[in-house]
Amino acid sequence: MNFLNPSDIESISILKDASATAIYGSRGANGVVIITTKNGKTGGAGVFEFSSTVGVSSVAKRFDLLDRDEFLAGIAQYGGDAEAVDFGGNTDWQDFVTRTGISENLNLSWSKNYGKGNFLATFGYGKENGIIKKTSLERISARLNWSHRFLKDKLELSFRGTMSRVNDEAFSPSQALSLAYIANPTIPASLDFVSSGILTPAEVLEYQQITGSTNRFLGNISVDYAITSELSAKLTVGYDNSKSSTVSVNSRDNLDAFGAPDRGTGRLFDLDITNNLLEAIVTYKKNFENSSLDALLGFSFQDFQRSGRNVQGWGFSTSDLNEAGEDLVNSANAIEAAISGNYQQYGLGTNDPDIFVNRLFPLGTDMISPVATSVTAIFGDTYDFTDELQSFFARLNYSINNKYLFTGTIRADGSSRFGPDNQYGFFPSGAFAWKIDEEDFIGPGVSTLKLRVSGGLTGNQEGLGFGNFVRTERYEEGRIGNGGEINIPGTQVISFVNNALKWEETLSFNVGIDFGFNIDRLTGSIDLYRKETDDLLIRVTAAQPSPRPFLFQNLDAVVLNQGIEFVLGYDFVQSDNFNLDASFNIAYNENELQDFPGQIPAGNFGGQGLSGAFVQLLTGGQPLFSYYLRPFEGFDENGQPIGDVQALVGKDALPDVTAGFSLNASYKNWNFAAYLTGQFAYSVYNATRNAFFTAGSLRSGNNVTKDVLTNGESGNAAAEVSERFLENGDYVRVQTLSLGYNVPLSGTRTFKSLQLSVIGQNLFLFTGYSGLDPEVNTAGGNFINGIPTAGIDNLAYPRPRIISFNLTAKF
Amino acid sequence: MKNAQIKKYLLPAILGIAFMSCSDLEIEATDRIIDRSTAEGGIFNGVESVPASLDNIYNLLGPNLIGTGGYTGLQHITTDEQIVPTRGTDWGDNGLWRNLHAHTWDSSHAVVVFTWDTWNEIIFLTSEVIDPRSNASQEEVAQASFIRAFATWVIMDLFGQVPNRAPDEGPEINPVVLSRTEALASVLSDLDIAIEGLPSASAGDMDILKRGTKAAARFLKARVLLNSGVYNGTGIPISLDEVISLVDEIAAEGFALQSGYFDIFQESADTETVFWLPTNVGVLIYGSLHYSQGIGGWNGFSTLSEFYDIFEGDANSNAFGIGQEERRGFVPGINESNETNKGIGYGFLIGQQYNADGTKTKDRTGKDLVFTREYPGLIGVGEANGIRVLKYHPSINNGFVNHAIIFRYADAHLMKAEAILRSGGDATAMVNELRVLRGATPLGVVSENELLEERGRELYLELVRRTDMIRFAQFTRNWEFKDTNSIGDDTKNLYPIPSNALLTNPNLIQNPGY
Repeated sequence: MNFLNPSDIESISILKDASATAIYGSRGANGVVIITTKNGKTGGAGVFEFSSTVGVSSVAKRFDLLDRDEFLAGIAQYGGDAEAVDFGGNTDWQDFVTRTGISENLNLSWSKNYGKGNFLATFGYGKENGIIKKTSLERISARLNWSHRFLKDKLELSFRGTMSRVNDEAFSPSQALSLAYIANPTIPASLDFVSSGILTPAEVLEYQQITGSTNRFLGNISVDYAITSELSAKLTVGYDNSKSSTVSVNSRDNLDAFGAPDRGTGRLFDLDITNNLLEAIVTYKKNFENSSLDALLGFSFQDFQRSGRNVQGWGFSTSDLNEAGEDLVNSANAIEAAISGNYQQYGLGTNDPDIFVNRLFPLGTDMISPVATSVTAIFGDTYDFTDELQSFFARLNYSINNKYLFTGTIRADGSSRFGPDNQYGFFPSGAFAWKIDEEDFIGPGVSTLKLRVSGGLTGNQEGLGFGNFVRTERYEEGRIGNGGEINIPGTQVISFVNNALKWEETLSFNVGIDFGFNIDRLTGSIDLYRKETDDLLIRVTAAQPSPRPFLFQNLDAVVLNQGIEFVLGYDFVQSDNFNLDASFNIAYNENELQDFPGQIPAGNFGGQGLSGAFVQLLTGGQPLFSYYLRPFEGFDENGQPIGDVQALVGKDALPDVTAGFSLNASYKNWNFAAYLTGQFAYSVYNATRNAFFTAGSLRSGNNVTKDVLTNGESGNAAAEVSERFLENGDYVRVQTLSLGYNVPLSGTRTFKSLQLSVIGQNLFLFTGYSGLDPEVNTAGGNFINGIPTAGIDNLAYPRPRIISFNLTAKF
Repeated sequence: MKNAQIKKYLLPAILGIAFMSCSDLEIEATDRIIDRSTAEGGIFNGVESVPASLDNIYNLLGPNLIGTGGYTGLQHITTDEQIVPTRGTDWGDNGLWRNLHAHTWDSSHAVVVFTWDTWNEIIFLTSEVIDPRSNASQEEVAQASFIRAFATWVIMDLFGQVPNRAPDEGPEINPVVLSRTEALASVLSDLDIAIEGLPSASAGDMDILKRGTKAAARFLKARVLLNSGVYNGTGIPISLDEVISLVDEIAAEGFALQSGYFDIFQESADTETVFWLPTNVGVLIYGSLHYSQGIGGWNGFSTLSEFYDIFEGDANSNAFGIGQEERRGFVPGINESNETNKGIGYGFLIGQQYNADGTKTKDRTGKDLVFTREYPGLIGVGEANGIRVLKYHPSINNGFVNHAIIFRYADAHLMKAEAILRSGGDATAMVNELRVLRGATPLGVVSENELLEERGRELYLELVRRTDMIRFAQFTRNWEFKDTNSIGDDTKNLYPIPSNALLTNPNLIQNPGY
């Protein structure tokens, strides 16, 4: 989402129940976020709006690592030779890899509503420096929204388009953090110190970088024609294209680049995504005496093309990381220019002076003579595939006396991801609402009382991927070996024929009451929901012998989510000079995987001594992401942990309760807002602590946190996954505090309004969790069985504390 | 145009555009071959290109034979010749490696599961090539049959049952399961096809020897026949005479023992290599080396002192030239360390280690790096415990050499000797022929014990130890750190079928004891 300029956003709304999402189709099966961009609103000569925001991001929490003296004492405590590891410095490595990040966002927009239409043009520039060195994002964006009515307001033509370019430095934060946590604090923070073995953070920041750039264009044109006063038709055509290129380089000066000392390695990823949309809708509205009817018939077609190349390089002649990246791109382009005809792959290894080219149409390998490249060995693989979605849908809204509202929707969704027998799914839904406050028997004190009931079926095919229902063959990905050699890849069947794949379906029910008293001074709503997802599309183990160890299937199990949500809002004070209102929301969700006899291990993360370790298990009768761990009953007299057999521990990674609270106040020209959030009743697995902060880690010569010195653990103990590292994740966060001032401008002709504000984000976090932040979602590395995971804190990018100053002027 | 005309044409125009874009939702083959008929009826039309498919199959073999886990782990770590203890937090990996050495693995063990998946996958891919619909030539069918025999033998040797799926059977069909005797018959039949159709090669024809040849197929058949007593459950091999004649046929093409033990494990041509693969041997080297040696190792793999003791030489030192036998290698000291060998030894590394410049190597906390004979246990081990074993050496290109020996003549020589012994003859002369070449004292009498030990001395870390120990009924005897409950437990001679495999294929029945 980082291509979107936040200043262009008018509003964001969220649709959750089946009936509301039915119009958006299968991609909205898990809910829809509608982002509405601004329109020109004001008349006259148009309005300019200029806004500038400067933000300061800082590290919100740090680990309490050992300093120089504590570290040397700790090494001696665990039987090592402190003198031999004393390199004379005293470095705070956490400090070294982090920094205070300054960010700046400038935005200029011009908008005008001229009666027959409206117009909005914006231009924005933003640069954000992350709190970890060598992470940053720069965005240049422009937008044009224009709509105009012709033919006596019967024909409306509108265009909405945005273009952006994002340049980013995406240095791996987990790499920087892991090295910073374990680095010997006596090593000086200077590149004069050459490490043997594990790189110092100074070296890794110097010798590695990942940079990328993305160009994106997103636009749509729509024609809306009112054929009669009751019948209208709308046609929308949309186009979304993004081209991104990412280069990751490991310098030839990096003598520890295992397999490539004095060589350097690099990777280039080019990804081109193009989505086209065509949508046609015919609407018919009819008003009767006491009731009204609103019918809609629609057709929508979308295609999604992904194409690109993945290139590996080995053996660079330069130590400059930017030049090395360019060398890789130029070498790939040089070889590709010398290849005529279609191809899937090409490669040049140290084991052959000629370049091999693997082609598919027709299938075969041929050699072409060498082309001058600045990289010694190179391998490139290309891909290009397109999926399609096509839907036919109809909706009927019927309301009686504006009191009883009925809605019915039916959709037929088709996807190219399924075989010919299962391409289409049929998804009906319906809703009923009763505006009880319109009834005569409800008194004036009750300003809003609405009962909503809805239910429906939605389909989903997002996890599936291209061409998994039919037998396909492709050249396997090649690898550059540690000596620069490449074995020419051969072809392999990559997907198993599977005609039975079909739409994943979610059946949901929702009952809710919206209420408001005293002219909506007190408002709120209560919602009960139940969603059952059947035929979950998931990767499962294939019965061997098989072309791949996994294949996609519809899981013969039900994922159940049910719960209750409660929202309450109250206007405390409403007067000319002073306003105060607050709102509170809380939700309880229960999750369970039902009718599943199998067991799928999930939730693995890497770490020295931890490959293959997993902490969660998906199995019937349990919530998703249930923890499966050894118990931990302390350390015995030899300092070994007590507890040996992995079992379900009755805790899971999904919060049962989420809550939010917001407060808005204004006094004359001042305004103040506060927003707090919290999540409760869930557990986080502190994988960072498991991998790094143990006595064994210190004994291996790595730095650790202070608590390790006195926890009674032996330096020889293995740190297997266990409840020792499972922590309660409950937290309350002061997400946003903002204070703004509307500068009084009576008498000024130039400015229409001028606002200044100070905003603080993530200012305070109240939690018992010992890691940096309990709101995490990373696991890192390859997911076991392809299952995404939740609740594992493995070197997550620390959420910063941000203070920003904003100036917005309209003129 | 007038408004009314616009009105008349606009609605149909909009609807027309909409319906004309109706799509049949069929995917296009833009970056892969799509076999559309399979989507409708599950028909297999053969692989797109047999040579490209064979290239891929051979590319898969290498990494699956030479690695740190996988088949290598199942054949080495579970024996007395290799151990991967947990050193502090290193190599703990949730008990993965400890369970292998202690014989306490279960049906969810990651290495067992990985090996089951990858070798069964190879069987499937070779079956696709052999299927007549792929129109492979006789030699190509022979190549695929050789690999299919190899992969089927691997699964049969490890698991005792082999699932079988025809190339046109989709995922909804549960593969039938071949019993060990049925799999044995299938392997032998594939090998006969291979021997018939594969090309001949002379010793030293390194370019041809990286694919199947008559010699390689004969070698594998000799190995399977020698072990066939284990597979058919009777303890009596099918034909020992054929083992002898197959080895003689290999020798007739020029393959022979070669002196200079560690020179064999290099890229250069030699008379011993019968089959090699272009896969990187660096993993075998760096798995054993300590972090401070050469360009840095992973400090995982070492051996038991009781295995080290079966070689001739001093029990506590392997310094250069102190009278140890050639195959035990040596550790270069102050005088022998140089920039070429980087101070890293050959064979068994014990005692103080040295750097290229002759200074002493240090461990990560600054103490002298001295590899010791003993371990305090499987867990809580220090970073210097354990004798390290290197067959390939990092002196050439830091050990990143794309050349791993899979079959070599010394193994065939010893197979012939064993066949003679098992037929009631005397194998002493043949064993001593090898021993003299390797600078070891000739033995007086060679019985089964001596023959197994000789195979251990010649073929350590060459993927055969477990299979050899099972054939000699030694795999369940006691050695250091084996779990007491596993001693004498014959069910350990077979690995468990992975639990996920049992769930996905009801035709599989778990092996006894799991």
